[in-house]
Amino acid sequence: MVETAALHLWLMRAIYVGIAGALVFLHLLPLDTRPPGWAGPDLFIALTFAWAVRRPDYVPPLLVAGLALMMDLLFHRPPGLWAAFTLIGTEALRRRAPGLRDRTFAADWAAVVGVLVAVTLGYRFVLTVFVVDQPPLGLSLMQLLSTLIAYPLVALASHALLGVRKPAPGDMATARRLP
Amino acid sequence: MASDRGQSEDFSGPLKRLLLAVLILCLVAIFLIWRIDSPRVERFRAQVVDRVVPQMDWAMAPVTGAVKVLRDFQSYQRMYQQNQDLRRELQQMKAWKEAALQLEQENARLLDLNNVQLDPRLTYVTGVVMADSGSPFRQSVLINVGARDGIMEGWAAMDGLGLVGRISGLGQSTARVILLTDTSSRIPVTVQPSGQRALLIGDNSLAPLLDFVEAPDQVRPGDRVLTSGDGGVFPAGLVAGQVFADPGGRMRLRIAADYERLEFLRVLRSFARERIEDPGHLIAPPQDPTPDATAEATNG
Repeated sequence: MVETAALHLWLMRAIYVGIAGALVFLHLLPLDTRPPGWAGPDLFIALTFAWAVRRPDYVPPLLVAGLALMMDLLFHRPPGLWAAFTLIGTEALRRRAPGLRDRTFAADWAAVVGVLVAVTLGYRFVLTVFVVDQPPLGLSLMQLLSTLIAYPLVALASHALLGVRKPAPGDMATARRLP
Repeated sequence: MASDRGQSEDFSGPLKRLLLAVLILCLVAIFLIWRIDSPRVERFRAQVVDRVVPQMDWAMAPVTGAVKVLRDFQSYQRMYQQNQDLRRELQQMKAWKEAALQLEQENARLLDLNNVQLDPRLTYVTGVVMADSGSPFRQSVLINVGARDGIMEGWAAMDGLGLVGRISGLGQSTARVILLTDTSSRIPVTVQPSGQRALLIGDNSLAPLLDFVEAPDQVRPGDRVLTSGDGGVFPAGLVAGQVFADPGGRMRLRIAADYERLEFLRVLRSFARERIEDPGHLIAPPQDPTPDATAEATNG
C-alpha cells in the first residue's frame, strides 16, 4: 500500500515534468516568427500553482526550480529571476494550501490571482532596478490576464483528467497513519 | 484538523525552509551573475540550447510542417482567385525580369569599365530555422548551423529578400539569430538616396523604429534602408527594407525579409575590416645601415 502510494507520487511528478516538456516543445515550434500582438497564458506557472494548491507534494521545490530555470534558459529570458519568482509564488501557495483545502474554488482562484499579480509586479520591479530590457507593459499585463483566465481551465483539466484534487480529510488521515 | 497542522509542520520544518531559502538564493545568484557577467552566462545558455533543442528537432520538423499544411489548407478555398492573382503578378514579374537582366548586363559592363573590386565577403552559410524564442517577448530564432560551421557572433543573417537579424548566442551546432523586431536589436543603417545615417531600433512590433536620423526631413516614406556598417560590428550594404511613416508620424521600417515564413536563413561571412590606424609615413628609400644616411633620407 505504501509502495503504491509512493509509486503514484513519483508517477505524478513524472507527469508534471512531461507536461512541462510538452509546453517547452510547443513554445519553441517556429510557427510564426512575426512579433505577436498578444501574449498567450504562461501555462507552466498556472499548472504549478494549481498543483501547489491541490497537491503540494506533487511539485517539490527542487523540481519546480529546475524546470523553471531550464525554461528561462531556453526561452531567452534573464536566467534565474523568473524561476526564483515562480518558486516563491509556489511556496506561498503551498503555505496556504492547508487553509484553502476546505474553501471554495473562488477562494483558491483569488489566492492565485493575488500571488500571480505580486510575482509579476515583483519581476518587473527587479528588472527595472537592474536596468534590464523589458517586454512592453501591455504584453506583460496581457499575459498576466490570460494566465489568470486559463487557471480555472488548467485546474479543471488536472482535476478531471489527472485526478489532481484537494485531498479529502479522510485521505489525509489514512495517508498519515500509513508510514 | 490536528493532523492537518501536523502535516503543515512537516512541510515547513526548519531544514526544508533552509533548503528552500538556499534554492531561491541560488536562482537569484544566477540572475546576478548573468547581470554582472552576461557573456559567460549567455555562452552557457547557448550550450544548453545546443544540447537540448537538436534533440527535439526530429519531432519539431513534422509538427511544424503539419501545422503549416493545415494553415495552407484554408487558402485552398480561395484557389481560383489566388491563381488569377498569381498569373497577373507573373506577367508583371516577367517585365521586371527583362528589366533586371538588362540592368545586370549594363552593370557588369560598367563595373568592367571601371575595374571595380567587389567585396569578397559575399559568401554565406545557409541554415534551417529550428525553433523560435518560445516567448512572446523575445524575437529570435534558432538555426541549425553553429560554431562548427564557422559561424561567428555578430554576423548578419538574411533570407533571400533582405536582412533578418544578427547572430547572438552561438553553440556548436546551433546559433541564435536576434531578429530586427526584438527589443534589444539596434542596427546602424543608412537611408538611400539621401544618405542619412540612422539607427534601426526593434520594439517588438513588425515595423522597427528608425531613430537618431541626422536630418529627419530628408527621409521620405519609400526610401530604401541599407545597413551602414557604422561601428565596424555589422556588415554594410545589406538591404533592410523601406521607410514608411506610422500614424503617429514616426519613421518606421517595412522589413524586406519575409518574417511570416522564416525557413532558410543565410548567414553572411563577414570578417573584421582591416583598419588604417596610422596617418601615413613619408616614403623613404630602403634604409642604409649608417645613421646619417637614414637621417638624410627622412629629411628628404
